[in-house]
Formats: sequence, C-alpha cells, structure tokens
Amino acid sequence: MSKFLNFDTLSLHAGQTIDPVFGARAAPIYQTTSYVFPDTDTASSIFNLERGGHAYTRITNPTVGVLEQRIAALEGGSAAVCTSSGMAATFCAITAILSQGDHIVASSQMYGGNISLMKNTLPRFGITASFFDPTDIDACKAAIQDNTKLIYGELIGNPGLDILDLEAIADIGAEHNIPFMVDATFNTPYLCRPFEHGANITIHSVTKWMGGHGMAIGGVVVDGGNFDWGATDKYPTITVPYAPFQGINLWEEFGPSAFATRIRAEAMRDIGPSMAPMNAFLLLQGLETLSLRMDKHISNTLQLIEYLENHEQVTWVSHPSMSSHSSHELAQKYLPKGAGSIVGFGVKGGRDAGRAFIEACDLASHLANVGDAKTLIIHPATTTHSRIDADALVAAGITEDMIRLSVGLEDVQDIMADFDNGFRAAKRVAGG
Amino acid sequence: MGFRTRQIHAGVTPDPTTGAILTPIFQSTTFVQPSVDEYLSKGFTYSRSGNPTVRALEMKLADLEGGVDAACFGTGMSAILATMLAFLENGAHAVVSDVAYGGTYRLSTKILSKFGVNYTFADTSNPDDVAAKVTSDTKMILTETPANPTMKVSDIAAVSEIAKKVGAVHAVDNTFLTPYYQLPFELGADISVHSTTKYMDGHNATVGGAVISKTQEHADAVRFIQNSTGTVMSPQVAWLTLQGCKTLSVRMDAQSASAMEIARFLEGHPKVKQVAYPGLESFAQHELSKRQASGFGAMFWFEVEGGVAAGKKLMDNIEVWTLAENLGSVESLITHPVTMTHADVEPAERARVGIIDGLVRASVGLEDTEDLIDALKVALDAI
Repeated sequence: MSKFLNFDTLSLHAGQTIDPVFGARAAPIYQTTSYVFPDTDTASSIFNLERGGHAYTRITNPTVGVLEQRIAALEGGSAAVCTSSGMAATFCAITAILSQGDHIVASSQMYGGNISLMKNTLPRFGITASFFDPTDIDACKAAIQDNTKLIYGELIGNPGLDILDLEAIADIGAEHNIPFMVDATFNTPYLCRPFEHGANITIHSVTKWMGGHGMAIGGVVVDGGNFDWGATDKYPTITVPYAPFQGINLWEEFGPSAFATRIRAEAMRDIGPSMAPMNAFLLLQGLETLSLRMDKHISNTLQLIEYLENHEQVTWVSHPSMSSHSSHELAQKYLPKGAGSIVGFGVKGGRDAGRAFIEACDLASHLANVGDAKTLIIHPATTTHSRIDADALVAAGITEDMIRLSVGLEDVQDIMADFDNGFRAAKRVAGG
Repeated sequence: MGFRTRQIHAGVTPDPTTGAILTPIFQSTTFVQPSVDEYLSKGFTYSRSGNPTVRALEMKLADLEGGVDAACFGTGMSAILATMLAFLENGAHAVVSDVAYGGTYRLSTKILSKFGVNYTFADTSNPDDVAAKVTSDTKMILTETPANPTMKVSDIAAVSEIAKKVGAVHAVDNTFLTPYYQLPFELGADISVHSTTKYMDGHNATVGGAVISKTQEHADAVRFIQNSTGTVMSPQVAWLTLQGCKTLSVRMDAQSASAMEIARFLEGHPKVKQVAYPGLESFAQHELSKRQASGFGAMFWFEVEGGVAAGKKLMDNIEVWTLAENLGSVESLITHPVTMTHADVEPAERARVGIIDGLVRASVGLEDTEDLIDALKVALDAI
C-alpha cells in the first residue's frame, strides 16, 4: 500500500489494519476483558514488554489501539496512549515523569480541572506548580526552578482564549532540558500540530472536537518522540531501569516512545484509567470527519463573531481571530486555519443578564462541555471555573458577565435567531 | 456436552488475531475481499448477508436448540415473518395457534392475508382441532406453546404428526420455555422460532429474533428470505444477546422456581379467582407440560376477584413489579394483555380463546421471591 501522508487520509486510515480474519472494513469493537494466549512463552513475553500483544484490556485493547495510532499519526507523534478522560490523560502524563519534590511551571489560563489538579491534588503528593500569565514569556522563564520538570499550557487558553507562544516556551524548555507539554484540546491536530513548534508532549480531551459528537468521554497522551530524556538525570522514570519489568531501561529499549511506554507500563497497569473499547469506536467515527467539522466550526464561528460584534446587547467579544485580540498575531502564526470555535462575550447587564440570556436560548444547550457538534453556552464564573478563587478567576481571564460559547455545526442563521431570543430576554433584565 | 457448557461456549472461539476471549463486535457494513477470485473466501461480504458477530450467536442458538443452523433477525416478529415467507405463498394455507402473541395474529390476518395467504386459527392444544383444520394446501402449522398469554400448552409431537401427514412444516414458537426446557426438534417439529428479546437476552437490553432449522433445506429457505428482505439483527444486539445466553439456564431455573412459589401463593389468596401456571397441579395440561418440557418457565396469568377494575387497580399500584410490555427479563413485569400485548386481537376472538378482560399476565424476574410475593400481598390487600 502506498504511503498516506495527508491529514484527511490519515484521519480515515491511520492505525487500522483490515481485520485479517473476516476483512471487516470498520475496526471491530473488541469488547473483551482478556485475550487467550497461544502458549506460555508468548504470554510471558507480552507481560515483560518483550513483544507487542494484548493481555488485558486495562493495558491494551485492539480497538483502542487503532484510535491511539490514528491520533499519533494525525499529531505527528511517535506513540499515543488513550485514557478514560482528558483529566486522566493529564494526570498520567504528569505522574509518568514527575515525583515528590518536583515542580511544574504552568499557564494560568487553563481549564479549571487542570488548575485544580496542579493547585490542590498534586501538592498532596509533593508535586507543586507555579503559574504564569501565558502572554508573558518572561514570567514563564522566571518561574523555572531547579526542581522544575515540566512546562505545561493550553495552546488556546480556556476560557480567556490567549494563545500560548509555543516556540518561545519550547525554547525555554529546551534551554533547561525540560519537556513542554501542551493541552491541545481546543485546536486539535487539524488546526495546529504543537510538535512542529517544539512541544514534546500533547494531551487532548478527545471528548471534545476529536470525537465531536458529545457521545464519549476520553483522553489521549501523545508522545512527540522529540525529547532527549537521557540528556540529564532529571527523568529517572524513563532512564533508570524499571524494577517491575525486570529492570528494563525504557529510554534504551523504546527511545522516541519511551515516555508513552512508561504511561502504558505504569499508569495503565497500576492506576488503570483505560478507555472503553466502545468509546474508542465512537471516537474513531468522529475522527473520520474531523477536518470537515473543524472547517464548518470555524466558518460558523467567524460569522457569529461578526453577528455578536454588531449586536447592541453585547459589551465585548473575544476571539483570537479578531484583530482586537491581544493574541491575534500568535493566532495567525500557530492557527492559520482558524483559532478554534470557542468565543467569549459579555452581555450588557452583567451577571443577571448573562443568566437571562442563557436561559432564554433554546437551540444552544446550556452545559459544561465544549467541542460538541451542537452549539453550547455556559457561564464560566458560576460553573466550570467556580472552584477557583477570585484572583485566579481574573488570572484565567474570566469576568462575571462572560458567556463562553462553543460554536456548533448548526445552520448559523438558526444560531443567530436563537441568540436574538436570548438577547431580548437579557435586555428585559438589563433594562434600557 | 451439557447445556450449561454449551450456552457459554457454543459458537464462540477466541478471536484468532488478538486472542480476545469474547467475539468482537463487528460493527462493520462491509468486508474487504482479498481479490476478485477470492470473493467470499473469508465468509462475509456485507452485513445484511452475514456478520461475524451475528454468526457467532446463530451458531450458539443452533447448537442449543439441536438444529443444523439458525438465522437471527431484528425482532421476534421479523423471525416469524421470515418463517411464513419461507414456507408459504399465494394460495397456500397455514394453521396457526388460536392463542398466540398478538403480533403473530396481526401479521397473519392483516398483512400476509393481503398477499393471498390463507390462515385458519386452530386450538393447537387439541390435536383433533388441528387435524380438522388442515387442508391439502396447508404448508405450515405454527404452534406457540405455552401460548401467550393463556399459557395453553400444545402437544408438539401430536401436532408434528399431523403436519407430517399433510406435508406441512411444523414451526414452534419456543420463546416461553427456550431450548433449556423444551426441544421442539426432538418432538418432531421442523422449525423453532424465538423472540431473543425475551429469555435469550434476559436483561431488557435488545429486541431480536431467531429461526432455527432442523434441516439444511429449511435453513437455506429462511436465509434466502432474510437476505432478500433484509430483516437482520445488528452486531451490537447479537453481542449483547451472546452475553445474555451465557446465563440462560441459571436465570430460567431461578425465575421458574420463583414463578412456582408465587403461583402457589396466588392460588391460595382469597382475592385471586384463578391462576394459570403449567407447574400447578390444578393446571389443566400439567401432565402434558411435564411430559414435553423439563421445566415450567416463569410466565403465568391470574385473575383477581372484582374483574377488570380490580385488576387495573392492582397493576397501577403494585411495587417492585413493573407495568410494562416484554417478558422473560430479569425485571419482573406485569401486563394487561387486553389493553397492551393483545389489543389488536378482536374482542370476540379474545373472548373465544380465553383472553379474558381481567387477565393479568406476569413475567417473573430474578428479584427475591419474598419481595415479589410481599409486593403482591400489599397490592392485593389494597383492592
């Protein structure tokens, strides 16, 4: 078979070998817990990581494997590990390389769950984090400590939508021999492939645009295969013989996919946040139309921005594609096909008017997800970011009147008509 | 090998590629052919014509029933339809149990009759009535035993004899007892039909059907209709049904034992007028039931004193038991056939065959028997 090189082709074919038994065109759903070994030697070699193969679905599953290879191909990485959620991906990726006493430098504009993980959960295990304003590269540099083992950020900040300067941050990481991990959920590999700009690891909540239909929760960690774990002695989980697997040295044995292998060998085995085969199947279906959906998300987004900018009940609109946005130039550099389909805007009349708007919208669903095929709206200050304090709220770029909009694939005229209703209700509350 | 071993292993072999112990869900429309010359060499082309996951269930059901092959369908009704289409044609005549699932009655009288198929409804529990109703054109006899909802039992061997004499196919709807309790082929029947929705699935998760054939000729005829009409089972449904089948005997035994206790309780209750359960000595065909099946199943009906009004009150107020269509699942269900499952049968016909207005149909599930009896006690006291 010829080499498939382009994105759309990869999104349909990468990672799938046609089922050799029956020739099934779609990837079979291996809804099974375990795999029968042909003999004991094969069994022990699979357990020892001496050969590939399946033993137990917590660790690997053939259907999930197709999704992992497909995402790795789309992202341009060396390997990927799928997890039961995006948060599990973040947790597994961090704990694969950081231990007690280690430190993370992270963007302050992140999904509330990521912030809470680093601020509340990881410190209980001795892993601390410092947060930097993603628009201030010097702040990132200044936050590096002797024990910093990871730089972490979201390419498109949530929900402030500031764009992280990937190359500048990657340079800081390279200078200090620290890997740079990017939460690339909001961009997907279709809009930007962070490894091409120096990032070393990406994670995604594949629940969002990758899956695209709001049907399955899932996450993925993609190993960029471009970080030299052996350059320092800072990453013993990769470079020191790993006792549970008869002292295997992952860096020597697996090289560019050593990091992904560590997650497979440790997190999937000892922690176990595995993706369900059925979810992998549904997510594979979603990936097949990723580029088509992203193009439509983007075109709807641009039309809605124009509509919002011209609406009298709207106080402000924020999207990196707008020349008024502080990240406009970075968006053009890293996201030339479009800067995602999340838009922030303020409703005249503040918090109460914002609430009235959300309640009066009928087509747009009020819920705490993004990246669905359906248009979603939410008030971050009282929902997704409610567990972080007021200062962090400001640092995350959230205002009390802010509505976060995840633009769906509906006919854009219908979304506008729905918003017209919302704004009429908001106007009654705001007065005037 | 014994039934319990076969219900788990028949039809299923570990996936040769990965060793996956369960049959993968081949949710695939089409199958890639190695070459033009090797078309069909791997056995599958298009999921309407065949699907590996559905195939695994078909092999299992054929094995459990003791047939040569099985075909699985989207619903039990499409299984019945395929059976009728396979063995009947314009001008042909069929004899059908006069008490059968309302859907079978509707299919015969309202659909296939339009295409010139002639039906006569016979009391298949009385072989003489069947013998009187067959004609030289009779191509099929369809017996549902025990019948839904009256529980009337038909003598499969006696009806099979009559079918043989006139050269008709004898199809038995074996849904109520499943092959675990009743093996129609050993009694002379030719075809066994199932709504797999019921005990095969057992968990209220799917709708599906199956036709199992004793001979390859019949199996081919059914398969031809299935492929031509496209009434196939989906791979997801087949996969769930494969899992359900693994506990079929265990569920049947537990649910049937529970049904026996509950039927006895109701029989002794002053507010209950009558109970019909083949396991009760009072059941008119108790001896026949014992002779042709190894268990009595988990279906019965009863009538409360006070007629329809009292029956409705009981069904509306009872707890634990759920008022819902379907039967055979782990959840205990009660149904009012006159307004629900058999509403499409004309009132006169219902009355004639014994589907009385106050009949409450019970499908005993897997809950604690004590809880089911307590719930009935409370509901009966409230009448």
